[in-house]
Order: sequence, then structure tokens, then C-alpha cells
Amino acid sequence: MTQGGLEKFVAYLRQNGWPIFGPVFSAEKTEEVSPFLAAHQPKSAHKDGQIYIKEIQKAEDLDLSGQLPFYSFKRFFVPEQECLFQYEKEKLDQPEKEQKAALLGMSILDLKAVNLYDQVFEKDPYYQLRRRNLLIIGYSLTPEIQGNLFEIEYEENILEHLPFDIFLVKTDKAFKVFTGSIKGQRVLEDFGYKDYQHIQYSGPVKEGKLEERMERLRDRLKNHPNPQIWEELGKICIECGKCTLACPTCFCFRIDDKPALKEGAGKRTREWDSCFYQEFSEVAGGHKFLKTTAARILFWYYHKFARIPDEFDFMGCVGCKRCAKVCPVGINIEEVLKKIENS
Amino acid sequence: MNNPYESQSARISFISRQTDNIKLFRFELGKKIKYQPGQFVELSLPGFGEAPFAPCGDAKENYIELCVRNAGKLTAKLHEMKVGDKVGLRGPFGNGVWPLNKYDFKKQKNLFIAVGGLGFVPLRTLILGKDDLLGSGTKVQIFYGAKSPDDMLFRHEYDRWKKQNIQLELTVDKECVGWKGCTGLVTTLFDKHEVVQNSVAFICGPPVMYRPILEKLQKLGFADEDIYLSLERRMHCGIGVCQHCAVGPYYTCKDGPVFSWAQLKTIPEAI
Repeated sequence: MTQGGLEKFVAYLRQNGWPIFGPVFSAEKTEEVSPFLAAHQPKSAHKDGQIYIKEIQKAEDLDLSGQLPFYSFKRFFVPEQECLFQYEKEKLDQPEKEQKAALLGMSILDLKAVNLYDQVFEKDPYYQLRRRNLLIIGYSLTPEIQGNLFEIEYEENILEHLPFDIFLVKTDKAFKVFTGSIKGQRVLEDFGYKDYQHIQYSGPVKEGKLEERMERLRDRLKNHPNPQIWEELGKICIECGKCTLACPTCFCFRIDDKPALKEGAGKRTREWDSCFYQEFSEVAGGHKFLKTTAARILFWYYHKFARIPDEFDFMGCVGCKRCAKVCPVGINIEEVLKKIENS
Repeated sequence: MNNPYESQSARISFISRQTDNIKLFRFELGKKIKYQPGQFVELSLPGFGEAPFAPCGDAKENYIELCVRNAGKLTAKLHEMKVGDKVGLRGPFGNGVWPLNKYDFKKQKNLFIAVGGLGFVPLRTLILGKDDLLGSGTKVQIFYGAKSPDDMLFRHEYDRWKKQNIQLELTVDKECVGWKGCTGLVTTLFDKHEVVQNSVAFICGPPVMYRPILEKLQKLGFADEDIYLSLERRMHCGIGVCQHCAVGPYYTCKDGPVFSWAQLKTIPEAI
């Protein structure tokens, strides 16, 4: 597919009711998004702006340089707040509408996070409804090592382990096109594009072989715990929870009832929570099971590098380093992982 | 698609006051919630949220009984409610239950129970179902500690239980007028009464009581695999997703809430 073809494809999608979201370079300075971040963040790849996920009108709006957007695509899959039920007195109703959206230009790193959502929310009717209404268009370029902890790069045999409907591989002047679902095939055929290859999804993990780094980190965390790492981090972490917001694989949530103005009415919501917040482990009577900052940081790392591997055989970290970028006290996941491995 | 967050409407059919801030509620259900002792349900009131509670009634009955302390927004509202009012219930949740099938309680093993405060709640189900779950000849010994005599749960049932071959030993935290029994923490009962031989231990209560009791049991020669404890954690989803109740590699809601000490002993934050 040529750049011109992509332009036509974008127009086709928009005509067919798919609002398109993708990485867009924005001259909006980080200061405008968060003055605090601007003061603490190492300089971005673009000196005069950032990449954000925005709705696009034309393909040329997209930034397909392979740089990761500042925030991940998480909110399209697991929104910051969603309504589980609307209630009035004792009556509860489940909302059943979900908007269509096409996500164009998701990197392999962000697609790996989708592998996790798909597993975690396998039995969740709200997630499944939302997921059915998303068209995922992946993209082959990945960030440089500074933003790619596990040095993940495109290779054709990685595709069968990634969840996508359509995948664009950047070649010299054009894109090679793959499909990963019937939905992707239908959309391309209907658009009138046939020069694609289909990849049968074979699950998130390469058969018969677990990632060495994952096994090593899990073994260290479970069998050779080193409390010193967490005590030291506990002294500098201020429990702001920014890493959990920026992280594409952090999906902890809380469920609350939010009353409306009308008496007896309101909604039961599910929204992002953070294991760094005081209330996270608090039970009736005020007892907290995660008592210290050190315990909370360990909880965060243990989830990603021990519990998720136990549950799904892959790591709960895609290596995007967004957590390090937003950390106001400079905790760098790359260094922490090295410490765990050496413990 | 099935919605695990959907609750069914349940009608309060009976309320009994247990202590000054604990009430027992009985709920009639449209569709029976079939549970095993040790599992829990999520109770919700629109506008006041949702929280987990362990049933304490007879599991054979069609209704569900919950014993609830007035401790927050939701439970305060529940305490104001009357017979005929409705709540939402979903569940049961939890795969880790009191291991009644793992041992031959009918012939070979006896049961030792150590409970404190509200920890008695999930074990009443076991006592009420004793003849089916354990066998009539099984020795059951219970050590129960409460703040004061007035804080003792289910106290009008004790005489009946004693007639059913259950040895119930009580203690209160401090001496008080009219109390002639033991005073001190649950652990003091270990010095006064011999723990029943050849038994499996079930423990439930506030977190502070676990370590001292474990020490006593280990001294008596209990194997880690034969000691079971029910963990309390904050829970939102009930199905092992939201992460609030994670303990090391386990989810209290999904893998527990009852665990053997062998499963927990290497996890620093477990108790």
C-alpha cells in the first residue's frame, strides 16, 4: 500500500463510521500538558513538542516515526472511568452502547499490552463489547533503545503473537499489509484492497519457549527476594501514582457508586486505581495490608514480573519506559530490573 | 455474555442484633446462591457501594445469612434497614474454602478452630452443617476470643452446640463484672486447655492474632499443611482481576480466601 493508498484507506474508514485515532506530533509543549513534568522530564525526542494520540482526518496527520505516544492506547481498551450500571432506587441497568474507533499506528509494544488486556478481561462483557468495536491497525516501526527496554523489533514471525486486525510494515516507500483477524480482512476487502497476507494468531507466547528474562526476574522476585531494593526505592518514591497512569499494562481498578443529583439515582462505575494509593489495601476498620511505600513498590513490580508471568506466561511490562518518563523522582525501571536480576 | 458484576435482588427477612454494632441479616433470594463454607458474597446497595461478606448461615437453606459490623458507609446504611428492604447480592466467590473434603473428618481427623471477633462468622456455617460436613463423632474444639462478653457472636446458640459434641472455650480481652471465665487473648486458652489430638486447625480473625496462634500450633506439632487461615483483604471485583486482594502470587478472592499456612509462609505481607 502506498502513502496515497493509505490516504484513501483513511478516508474510506472515516466514511464508514470509524473515527481514527493515532500518534500525532503536537507542538503543544509539555509545559502546557503538565508544567511539573516539563520541569522534571528528560528532553523528548522532539525538542519542541510531543507525540499524543489524537483523532486524525488524514493519514498525513500521523507521526509514523516509530516514537511512542506520550500516553499509551490503554484508555481505548480500559477507560479511566466506565459505567457498569445505571441505578435508580433498586433498579440497575447495564449500558449497552459502545462507539466504534480505529486505532492506526499502534506499535508492537502497545500491541503487547493488548495481549494482556485480552487475557485479563477475557470474561468481562464490558471489555468484550468495547473490543468488538475497535479496529486495531498495528505498525512495524519501534522506538530507539531509550524508549524500548527489551529492544523489541519488528520481524515477520512476531506477528502471529500479536493481536491486530491489520498490520502495516514500513518498507522503503510503501507499506506491506497483513491481516490478523476476519474483521481486518473484511474491512480491507470492502475498501477494495487485496494485496495482503493473513496471519493466523497463535496466542501471545511463542510455543514451547518462555522468555529467559521473564523467568529470571520471576525467579529472583519469588525465590531470592531482596528487601533492600524496595527499602531504598521506598525512601524516594512519593506515591504519586503517575507510573500507574502512564503504564500501558497497569489496569487495577476500583468500583464505586456515584450518586446523581436526582435522589436514589446514579451510576456504579469502574475506574483506574493505583496500588500506590493509601486506600488501595485498606479494609473496614482502617487496617492497611500494604503498610509502607516499599511494600507498595514491591507490589507494583511483583505484579508485572511475577504474578502476570504466573497467570499468562508473559511479562506484564512491554518495556516502553513511559513510567520512567513520568516519574517525578527519577525512578528508572531499567535500573530497577537490573537490581532485581542481580539480587 | 454473563456479567460477573450483576447482582440479584435479595429481601431481608429477619434481623437479629448480635452486639451493639453487629447484626445478623437473613436474605431471601430468587435464585439460591449455593456456597461452601469459606466462600463469600458481594453485597451492594445502590448509592452506597459494594463489599464482600462471608455467609454464616446453614448452607443447606435457600436463604443466606450475613453477620455485619457497622463499620462504614455501606454497613451503616444496611444497619438502618428493616425486614422487607432489598439489597443486591452476587457470588459466591472464592475457590479456597475450608478443606472439608481433603481430610476424612468423619472417621480419622478432628477439628480445632481458633477464632477472634468477627472471625467466628465463616465458621458458624461449618458448625451448623456439622453432621453432614464432619460426622457426628468428630471432636470439634473451638477457642474463641472476643473483646467482652457482650461482643460474643451467636452466644444464645452455645448451649445447643455444646450438646452436639462441640467443646467451646471462651476468653475475653479484659476482666469485667459478671464474667467468671478466662481473660486474655485467644492464645491464653492454649495454656488452659489441651488442644484436641489428631486435628486440623482452622483459624479466622483479625490479622494480629495469626502469628501468636501459629506459634502455639507449631509448638504442638501441627504441620504447615494442616493449618488453614482465612485472609481478609480489600476486594472490589471478586474474580481475581482488580488486584486489591493480591497476596504474593495469589488472589485472596479467587485462590482463597482460605489458604493453608504452607501456601502463605514465604510471603512477607501475607499476615
